[in-house]
Amino acid sequence: MIRFILADIKRMWAGAIVVVLLVALATALGVTVTLQERALRLGSARAADKFDLVVGAPGSETQLVLSSVFLQAAPLPLVSGDVLAKLAADPRVAWAAPIGFGDSFAGYPLVGTTRALISNTTTGFTEGRMFEKEGEAILGAAVNLPLGAEIKPMHGTAASGGETHAGVVYHVAGRLKPTGTPWDRAILVPLQAVWHVHGLGHAHEEGEHEEAGHDHADGDHDHDGEAQHAGEAAHAAEVAPATGETAANSATHAEEHHDDHDHHGTIDADAPIMEDYGTDAPGLPAILVKPKTIADAYRLRQAYRTGGTLAVFPGEVLTSLYSTLGDAKFVLSAVAAGSQALVAAALVLVTVTHVAQRRRQIGALRAFGAPRLSVFTIAWAELFLMVALGICLGFLIGLAAARLIADAFTGQSGIVLPVEFTGQDVRSFLGLLIVAAILAAVPALLAYRQSPAKALRS
Amino acid sequence: MLSLSVENLSVSFPGLDAPVLVIDDLKIAAGEHVAVTGGSGSGKSTFINMVTGLDRTASGNIFWNGQDIARLSEGARDRWRAEHVGLVMQDFHLFQGLSAVDNVLLPARLSRVADRAMTDRAHELLSSVGLSRPNQKIDTMSRGEMQRVAIARALLRRPGVVVADEPTASLDGASGEAVGKLLLEMAASAGSTLIVVSHDQTLIDRLDRRLTLAAGRIKTDTKAGERAQ
Repeated sequence: MIRFILADIKRMWAGAIVVVLLVALATALGVTVTLQERALRLGSARAADKFDLVVGAPGSETQLVLSSVFLQAAPLPLVSGDVLAKLAADPRVAWAAPIGFGDSFAGYPLVGTTRALISNTTTGFTEGRMFEKEGEAILGAAVNLPLGAEIKPMHGTAASGGETHAGVVYHVAGRLKPTGTPWDRAILVPLQAVWHVHGLGHAHEEGEHEEAGHDHADGDHDHDGEAQHAGEAAHAAEVAPATGETAANSATHAEEHHDDHDHHGTIDADAPIMEDYGTDAPGLPAILVKPKTIADAYRLRQAYRTGGTLAVFPGEVLTSLYSTLGDAKFVLSAVAAGSQALVAAALVLVTVTHVAQRRRQIGALRAFGAPRLSVFTIAWAELFLMVALGICLGFLIGLAAARLIADAFTGQSGIVLPVEFTGQDVRSFLGLLIVAAILAAVPALLAYRQSPAKALRS
Repeated sequence: MLSLSVENLSVSFPGLDAPVLVIDDLKIAAGEHVAVTGGSGSGKSTFINMVTGLDRTASGNIFWNGQDIARLSEGARDRWRAEHVGLVMQDFHLFQGLSAVDNVLLPARLSRVADRAMTDRAHELLSSVGLSRPNQKIDTMSRGEMQRVAIARALLRRPGVVVADEPTASLDGASGEAVGKLLLEMAASAGSTLIVVSHDQTLIDRLDRRLTLAAGRIKTDTKAGERAQ
């Protein structure tokens, strides 16, 4: 019987290929949507795993998480520098690390941060070491630069018309192990360097620097009182898409401060790194906080959700984001299911027509004594075989497509998307096979019920 | 070897005023070779469908060796036909993509009765009908060769009756004559009753008896000797 079925399929190979491909593509569409959505959820959740609490200025919770955890370039309002000092001194906090961003190099974002954050959120170095001086940088695992390379930061990105900071050069001191997060694509530099490059943060360090014998060329900046903070915010917004106040403010201030670029600060490459921030620290886009306990995390979130700060759990924000994604997934899944249903209906129509065209063959089989059950089995197995093959192929194409998309996404964002089949997919696979088995029974039943005499007469 | 007895058979189709086939009494002896002739619409195909159990009527009886197949269910008629009837048709009804021997064995395989002995018999039969390449694909055969494969298939299970519906109609003269002769020889050697629907006078003349149908009734029933006179 198998030989007969295969010979029959081979005889109508062109139609069989079309059926298999139709089923495969319809299946692949659904599989890709499911795998991709799940991978995006898992990948983003894992990327945010290390960041328990993020504190920023009031604004969009989602944007705060996207910018700080996923390093998405977008303007953020600044939170006052004294919040960092307050958090660092809070007994409920294990560590609090500020981040500043907005510059880039060779398409990689530059993130100013602290050694505490790097030590606490990564698993060490594949080569080199931690930055020890203001002019040193370390690379995320996916940054394609060699150790010792020179990094000349640029305001914003080349695509957004950024300008290179004149005279500012970092040297790569180390490369981190992969984390599967956007930070793999980041170049990490001391936060104080970012401040200095943008002409900020000298006031609170002045005494220390003088003691250390450093004399900054950008001392002509006036950073007193409220005017200082306003200037910082405006400047940050202007020079970097992710460090400013808001998009609107950025545009306004960009015009006003553009001429200031040339006299914006530079760094002292050999200056030691000071990570003891006082209450006069410049404004910050975000502070990543590690609470000591879960209870502390909730208390801190509560405490820093009032006044001039906004504290969020990235996981909670992502959950909210997922629900939006979930709606999108529902729409995409509905579209995929609709296409699968259309393909299924088309297939049944095609096979019913096919059975009608094969009436004489079926009649002959019966006339020669083939049992009705054999005729049913032949008609059923032929269609089921093609559809099952299409479903298998569809799952493989779906997996390949999801992996290609995930790889492209990882290349752009650094977030590793775990595309893999789970028990749910196995259940879907079996479910589709069952549906295929039932659908294949429709033409088979027609063949089963066909009178051999009438079939031969046709 | 099977004998046939048809009693009070009447076959009607919906929408037609008169029955398409009426046979009050017909007997065909076991081993007899009978030609069935008649014009288009005379009831030949209906006769074949009825006596082979391909179709059924509520009116009348069709006894093969005393068993009334008109009373059998469809499944039981399929089994009976597979076991007792060898069919040869004008259009061969061979299956493309399969070899000659696979075509011969296909009905037996679908009925799950094909064993080594039957496979050997399939090869012997193909050799007997003059085909030396049992694994040759049907697609590459001439029409005459195809009908030889169909004859081998009909005789595989040593049927009690061989029913041939216009077996030479789609063949050229030489092939038709050779196939007709072969059919008679093979049926005789298998000891099967033979019923042939045909317009082929050469073939009809070789048979023991001739039934002529007209308007669904047996118009004439003549023996070979009677025809010669």
